Amino acid sequence: MSTNLLTIDGLCFDFAGEAKLLSQVSLTVQNGEIVCILGASGCGKTTLLNLIAGLLSPTSGTIAINSQKQSKIGYIFQSDALFPWRTVKDNLLLAAAIDKSLDKKALEQSMLQYLAMFHLSEQTLAKYPKQLSGGMRQRVSIIQSLMFDPELLLLDEPFSALDYYTKLKLEDEFCQFVKVRNTAAILVTHDIEEAVAIGNRALIMSGGKLQKEYHIKSNNDLLERGSTLFAEKYREIWTELKSVVSEIR
Amino acid sequence: MKSANSKSRVLELALYPLPLLAFLSCWYLATYGNQERQFIFSSPEKVLEAFWRLVKNGELLQNSLITILEALVGFVLGTTSGAIIGLSLWYSRLVAKIAKPYITALATVPIFALAPIVISWFGIDIYSKIALAFLSTVTVAIVQSYQGARAVEPRFLRLMQVVAASRWQTFRLVVMPSSLIWVLNAMKLNIGLALLGAFIGEFISAEQGLGYMIVKASGLYDMATVFVGVIALIVIALLLTALVERLEKHLMKWNQ
Repeated sequence: MSTNLLTIDGLCFDFAGEAKLLSQVSLTVQNGEIVCILGASGCGKTTLLNLIAGLLSPTSGTIAINSQKQSKIGYIFQSDALFPWRTVKDNLLLAAAIDKSLDKKALEQSMLQYLAMFHLSEQTLAKYPKQLSGGMRQRVSIIQSLMFDPELLLLDEPFSALDYYTKLKLEDEFCQFVKVRNTAAILVTHDIEEAVAIGNRALIMSGGKLQKEYHIKSNNDLLERGSTLFAEKYREIWTELKSVVSEIR
Repeated sequence: MKSANSKSRVLELALYPLPLLAFLSCWYLATYGNQERQFIFSSPEKVLEAFWRLVKNGELLQNSLITILEALVGFVLGTTSGAIIGLSLWYSRLVAKIAKPYITALATVPIFALAPIVISWFGIDIYSKIALAFLSTVTVAIVQSYQGARAVEPRFLRLMQVVAASRWQTFRLVVMPSSLIWVLNAMKLNIGLALLGAFIGEFISAEQGLGYMIVKASGLYDMATVFVGVIALIVIALLLTALVERLEKHLMKWNQ
């Protein structure tokens, strides 16, 4: 029986007595699983990620991460967090600048492996983030998080600012990575298509609560967009989201 | 495309001296052959004469070097310590809050008002001028650096928090480099202020420097020498600004 990597129980959050942003959220995530969270803007998706990352403290409830690793969480933001004054290489080796006990040579090795995995050339390393395209910056940003070797990846609409084809490519690369490394990921997105293509599970969030859960697939392969299963899952989630949005209106 | 660019660059270079030439022509025409006007306003040719005289006897170079030394030492001390204090205030909101009225008070006191006190403390030689240049620059550097430290993009700070970086690591790896542009801006502002501080010191009490040269010449109604002193100050300020801009280009190459 596989144990849960992340266990969230009865999580609530509000800013100093104001209306609750999250209410009684409970969730479990296992290793190698991609969980997608869908919902309208302001429903609490990013707040949930910030709570898991420790950027916010819950009003009540618990978050437990069952990991022996030092860096348990990697967070990939909607806009990249690459330092513009550091070259791509220095950005990727941020882990070495923060944790002096890490073997820099080994880190450089994994950096090169990740570059190959995400189809980036070694010439990219000498460039500054400003010299890269949006898609390349987002890839570098993803690799920067992976360099910390996190057990759980949190992704806040990381592909939303990219063009369609770059997005498809990155989604595929991301699924491959999760499959190879058996890492867990929670992906917040507005895009049902994206959630169905890459997620194992999709959760619909509304008014700070997890409303409904859909099982999509068990493996980490990208779900073919033209397949019957894709169309079926898409329709199910779309119908639910549509009713949730009309309730809000 | 390249030729169009170089053409516009040539045109730009040709246009640069035009306002200066227009000013010099008006000045020359307004004072030409009129002794009374030349006594009050001097004239371009008299200024040129005074310039050669001061270059030949070494007075201009000596006084300029003294003013440059006073302004530069004050500038380096004021900007460096101001940047260190301003960036360090990022560490504690409480200390920053307490320090704020003191910094504001120091910034609002006209340097002219402090000059007599500083001169009586440090004497009439070079140290009082350095102290005045320091006082003119330190508050700007504090305020700019602190603003820079507070203007760090939240996503960078969030990243450092997620990767469990210490406060010192966040300061060293994010706050300091991110605030660099603010420190460089403070440096640009401080060049003029450092020169002003040194000049005020020389103006009130000194035995050397461009301020001293200007005060002495104006007492003798030697307007041509006054103009030479003023022009020398402008040239020094422009040269130092160009130096800072070079430094900025080197340090901010990632932004080009």
